[in-house]
Amino acid sequence: MNNQLTPEPAIMVKTGLAVQFRNVSVTFPETVGLEDVSLDVATGEFLAVIGPNGSGKTTLLRTILGLANPARGTVTVLGTHPAQARRHIGYVPQRTPFDPKFPVSVFDVALMGTYGALGILHAPDQRDKGRVMGLLEAVGLADVASHVAGHLSGGQQQRLLIARALAAQPQLLLLDEPTSGVDVASQKSIIELIRGLHDKLKLTTLLVTHDINEVMPCLDKVLYLNRRVYAFGTCQDVLNRETLEKLYQSPVLIVEQEGRPYVIVSDRHV
Amino acid sequence: MFDLLHYGFMQRALLGSFLVGTVCSFIGVYVVLRGMAFMGDGIAHASFGGVTLGFLLGINPLFTAIVFALGTAGLIQFAQRRARIRLDTAIGIFFSFTMALAILFIGLMRSYDARLYGYLFGNVLGMSSGNLVLTAALAVVVTAAIALLFKEFKFLAFDEEAARAAGLPTPLLSTLLLLLVALTIVVSIKAVGIILVASLLVAPAATAYQLTNRFGTMFFLSWLAGVVSCLSGMFISYWLNIPSGASIVLVATLLFALAAVFSPKRRPCKVCGAEIAK
Repeated sequence: MNNQLTPEPAIMVKTGLAVQFRNVSVTFPETVGLEDVSLDVATGEFLAVIGPNGSGKTTLLRTILGLANPARGTVTVLGTHPAQARRHIGYVPQRTPFDPKFPVSVFDVALMGTYGALGILHAPDQRDKGRVMGLLEAVGLADVASHVAGHLSGGQQQRLLIARALAAQPQLLLLDEPTSGVDVASQKSIIELIRGLHDKLKLTTLLVTHDINEVMPCLDKVLYLNRRVYAFGTCQDVLNRETLEKLYQSPVLIVEQEGRPYVIVSDRHV
Repeated sequence: MFDLLHYGFMQRALLGSFLVGTVCSFIGVYVVLRGMAFMGDGIAHASFGGVTLGFLLGINPLFTAIVFALGTAGLIQFAQRRARIRLDTAIGIFFSFTMALAILFIGLMRSYDARLYGYLFGNVLGMSSGNLVLTAALAVVVTAAIALLFKEFKFLAFDEEAARAAGLPTPLLSTLLLLLVALTIVVSIKAVGIILVASLLVAPAATAYQLTNRFGTMFFLSWLAGVVSCLSGMFISYWLNIPSGASIVLVATLLFALAAVFSPKRRPCKVCGAEIAK
């Protein structure tokens, strides 16, 4: 699997960057999505994107996918235009529950991840199917592969979306609030799954969340977004008391719990 | 009964019913899963404008119906994307516009043409060889497109946004699907008539939907229901001397009712109903 996921060298030699934003603004008829955002994500990095609701986190991901177009600035993804890079991006959208009556199996949905790369007129072959089955095993859904996708629990549907994203053999993985609407036990195991996959595949990963503690302990880099870039840097640079107190504009306490740092902002968690 | 099969009109009606049942039930799967039933109704009524224009100008009404059906399908989508209005509003506007044109064209005819009746209510027993050839050609086009783009349409129907993010040309695919629906409707007008064709687009697929959780199986069951409805409806039309549109749709609806009553999906749904009731 590692080999198949290795990025094409030609693309990487150019910049060594998976994602590059230069002064990007995205505007919508009624609101501003992103304002003057610049950031670099190096190949293989794990970037946690944190910000309150409505802070443009989803817009950031849609811009990387070329589904939202910047009014100003330039976006380079995998060394090329976002729309061209799209086929090499695994996207886990913010979960909208599957239609429980739509007649597709869990395996069918995961297999859809291969369609973009296959192109029209090519059906997935045995190798693709074997690979997808392997991914379902990796996310812990192998034994429900033949079930109706819409009958899965929220946490299981989220794992299925991750498997579908990986089925595209992406060079970049984008996850939009992968734990929203999922019970606490599943939240933990989904985050562990994502971290484990990043470890194993060395896949550039952008994880969007509104809960800072979800990405603790922090892996590589953090972007704190509220339409503008409020803070962007390594974990040590951003996730210290001073920076966090500036961000939240209230006293912040960082405690150790079971060996993990935990951020508490003025008696409530963020 | 087998003597019947020696008649040319009966052979054409058999083949015509089979083709219409096949093509309607295939495309119907997407109509049901994407919720395009009202769109189907709108396009069917739009093609009536084309049929009446054909009569007025003295050219084959099916050709003008194709132009009207495709044109309206395109206009509805254009209006929806450009004017940012809801799909059902766009359909509502063009639906009545083309019906108004039809009534205008009928008014312009010097005398009422009785053959219009066949286009409104279906007359599969009166299918000419020319109509049959056109029906067969369009049926091949629609079936081939569905077969070649099977996985793309499946992804589109299930999750359009994700399909787009995966790099599929979703605007092109959804336009193409709409055009295929329009072609299917024109193909079926001769058998079921303009008033009832939308039912044949929905009923067989909805019947299959009651009985299976498998995408491929849904196609097969829909095809079975569509072909059974069309063939038996055609014979009933012959024996009772009623328009074939009525008999075909009555059989299709009966099959749906049976499937709904005996659906294995009903049982868990009773539970959801109880939960909501609480």
